Amino acid sequence: MLLEIDNITLLYGRIQALHGISLEVDQGEIVALIGANGAGKTTTMRAVSGLRPIASGAIRFAGQDITRMRPDLRVVRGISQSPEGRGIFPGMTVLENLEMGAYTRRDGAAIRQDLDRVFGLFPRLRERMRQPGGTLSGGEQQMLAVGRALMSRPKLMLLDEPSMGLAPMLIQQIFSIITEINQQGTTILLVEQNAQQALSRAHRAYVLETGQIVKSGTGSELLHDPAVKDAYLGVA
Amino acid sequence: MNIEQGAELAVVQYNDKNGKDCVTIKKFDSQGKPDVAPGLARQLVTDKKIIGIVGPPFSGESEAANPIFNDAGIPLITPSATRVSLSSHGWKVFHRAVANDGAQGPGAANYIKNVLKATKVFVADDQSAYGAGLADVVKSTLGSLVAGTDKTDADGKQTDFSATVNKIVQSGATAFFYGGYYQNAGLLRKQLTAANWKGTLVAGDGVDDPGYATAAGNDAAAGTIVTCPCSPASKAGGSFVGDYKTKWGVDAGTYSDVAYDAMNIFLKGIDGGNTTPDKMLSYINSVNYSGVANTYKFTSTGELDPSLIKVWAFKFGTDGKTAPDQEIPKS
Amino acid sequence: MNFVGLLHSLGPLSIAGLAQGAIYALFALGYTLVYGVLRLINFAHSEVFLMGAYAALNVWGLFSLNQNSATPATVVVIGLLMLGLVAAIIASGATALVVELVAYRPLRRRNAPPLAFLITAIGASLVISEATGVFTHRSITGVPPLIRPADVVTFGNLHITNLQVLIIVLALVMMFGLDRFINTTRLGRGIRAVAQNPDSAALMGVNKNRVISLVFLLGGLMAGVAAVMYVLKIGTVKFDAGFDLGIVAFTAAVLGGIGNLRGALLGGLLLGVVENYAAEVFGTEYRRVIVFVLLIGVLMFLPTGLLGESLGKARA
Ligand SMILES: Nc1ncnc2c1ncn2[C@@H]1O[C@H](COP(=O)(O)OP(=O)(O)OP(=O)(O)O)[C@@H](O)[C@H]1O
Ligand SMILES: [Mg+2]
Repeated sequence: MLLEIDNITLLYGRIQALHGISLEVDQGEIVALIGANGAGKTTTMRAVSGLRPIASGAIRFAGQDITRMRPDLRVVRGISQSPEGRGIFPGMTVLENLEMGAYTRRDGAAIRQDLDRVFGLFPRLRERMRQPGGTLSGGEQQMLAVGRALMSRPKLMLLDEPSMGLAPMLIQQIFSIITEINQQGTTILLVEQNAQQALSRAHRAYVLETGQIVKSGTGSELLHDPAVKDAYLGVA
Repeated sequence: MNIEQGAELAVVQYNDKNGKDCVTIKKFDSQGKPDVAPGLARQLVTDKKIIGIVGPPFSGESEAANPIFNDAGIPLITPSATRVSLSSHGWKVFHRAVANDGAQGPGAANYIKNVLKATKVFVADDQSAYGAGLADVVKSTLGSLVAGTDKTDADGKQTDFSATVNKIVQSGATAFFYGGYYQNAGLLRKQLTAANWKGTLVAGDGVDDPGYATAAGNDAAAGTIVTCPCSPASKAGGSFVGDYKTKWGVDAGTYSDVAYDAMNIFLKGIDGGNTTPDKMLSYINSVNYSGVANTYKFTSTGELDPSLIKVWAFKFGTDGKTAPDQEIPKS
Repeated sequence: MNFVGLLHSLGPLSIAGLAQGAIYALFALGYTLVYGVLRLINFAHSEVFLMGAYAALNVWGLFSLNQNSATPATVVVIGLLMLGLVAAIIASGATALVVELVAYRPLRRRNAPPLAFLITAIGASLVISEATGVFTHRSITGVPPLIRPADVVTFGNLHITNLQVLIIVLALVMMFGLDRFINTTRLGRGIRAVAQNPDSAALMGVNKNRVISLVFLLGGLMAGVAAVMYVLKIGTVKFDAGFDLGIVAFTAAVLGGIGNLRGALLGGLLLGVVENYAAEVFGTEYRRVIVFVLLIGVLMFLPTGLLGESLGKARA
């Protein structure tokens, strides 16, 4: 297993956001995490990246316990994230934002290659290379956030709602790119409101409800599960 | 210390002359603190043998303790408390054997006009009661000689005086009176010297502090004139300077000669049979005594008679210390 | 009101103001850097400056130099200036790091509210300055005259001294160096990342605590240089010297746009010059009044200061 989340709980002050979550992501997989607003998806992602300490449980990555590891070291280990709300650096140019993605790396030549790869995936970013990140459109920012997360050459990429706020055509596009990235060898843990797309792209998926995993299975299993259909796929 | 030793010298000499311990001196140490003085004062007035007081030495504690002495009717002569307002409280027991701070303004102005013979004078102050009070008197005394004015922040609250320095330089003044204290004055002097201004800085006794030379540097400080409503003890008459040195092993300090005189006024009163506080008070009110530092005659408010007021100029030397320069002529 | 005097003395007042303003600017950088990254007003920065000033003095004191010493030969002066700068930078940098480590980091670890940081900042400032007051008996310390002011340019009533040139040039060099560091190096980019979005910066692998330490260190470094300029220019130090200067420098930072490095430079220089103009026209006692009127005026139309917030444009 590349990532093992073992029965973790997490508190925001007195509010308990995660009530013992366990999930696994295997090398080469796309795993989707779906659930209603406030279910705890983003919180799970933050826990994996180490932005928020967990109260109990354990997180293992590539066989190593990273439960108490500093967030920056987790990046070095191979975990990157495109956070909810994109979190781009508005005062930096597109190029600088992408270079920030490679902050932990010192291999200049390979970084150039990865830049080209990102620009290949998102030609729009190349056009906007010298433009401050804050002046990009929402969709462009989303591309930048995903591209930036790629720049650390992650083993595992956490994508928190990459389709949020995108036009339908762009949603299609971003999911194809996610699939492409995965096929190029990067494991992906994907959080999505757009359950339809997520489940059809994912090898496996988990359903989160108020801080607990209530269901798991392969993407197509859940896609055809009546309860999931009812709750998350918007088909009556 | 200066004051205590000056007064004690007078008592020792008196007892030696009369062959017995007929007068004793009782010392009360208030540490110059306004919160300590009243307690001591209350203790003091219960001692029925005390018929007069040399002191209190400082203005702050005088404000606190003098009302108590006044109620008890014990006459006092302060040799060194110079705050102007002390004589305006209507204390009938109060006497001041030196000039008050108010004499410094005219003194400084006279020095600038008559000794320095400056025709263009810049005047600034630190907006404190003391500093602005002095500067206002200097301004009105100098009249049309004033070439420019400014006001700085309170002492220690300003370090960059470039605007004031520029004004002084541009005004063409050859003398600069600063109403304020030693820190600002020292920095002003240093920055004036750095701007190549070669005139003389004149100030009140608030600048007479080693800190002035520290701030300005001895070189820049040298030549600065500070006024004092006092006379240097080293210029005291009679054999006082030698007697003091023999008795105490140190040179007589500021106000020690005045304290000596003040004590002698009491002792002379005792000789004249004035052995109660009441009699002593009326004796002092009409005294005309010639001592080592000055001649003493008091007005109805307890101040020295205006004709007897002495203001001295002291000058900073290259060693960073002040030395007596001259008594400032009255006009 | 003396506008004629202002016109007449425009040259000397401007130069003197720029020299003083250069000190404000370097001092202001510390507030701006820390605010940019932590949204914290580090009130103890005035004592970071103070420690630098005393360090330089103590080093010169080792050579038995004081305010009454003669000015040494030029080579020796250059050596002493270097030593003084190094000592001041080390002392200020170390003070800044210790303040961050002892006063702020524990609060950050506990997610303390902003008010706790504010009180701690004021407390740290008071503790250091009062302790210095006790050690120095609250008296002033004189500074050796390493640089005797001498005119290098004379033009009418305008005299530019060697010291003024040194201060202004040194400040500009330091500013330029810092600006390059922040904008072109990897560490500088890390600082900007934390300023613009701390969580994202962590997701990029930036060690937040290291960046924060670095920012305090840089602010301390600038304050150390400012301290040496200050002691050379003013010629004395006292335990409370940082306080008043700190308020002005902080004002300069806000005027230029707190969080913005170039804003600190602009704000500092502008403040130094405006102070002098105001002192000439209205009297020295009004200079701070005018400065604050200017500040309020500027903030009314440009709420984030003259150049806005740049390190932290993030949170718009
Ligand atoms: N900083 C915070 N402080 C307090 N509570 C928080 C905080 N962040 C999240 N929560 C709470 O934790 C719970 C889970 O939030 P989380 O953001 O993980 O939900 P989510 O599944 O990502 O929802 P969404 O689909 O809306 O993004 C919510 O009830 C939320 O209110
Ligand atoms: Mg979320």
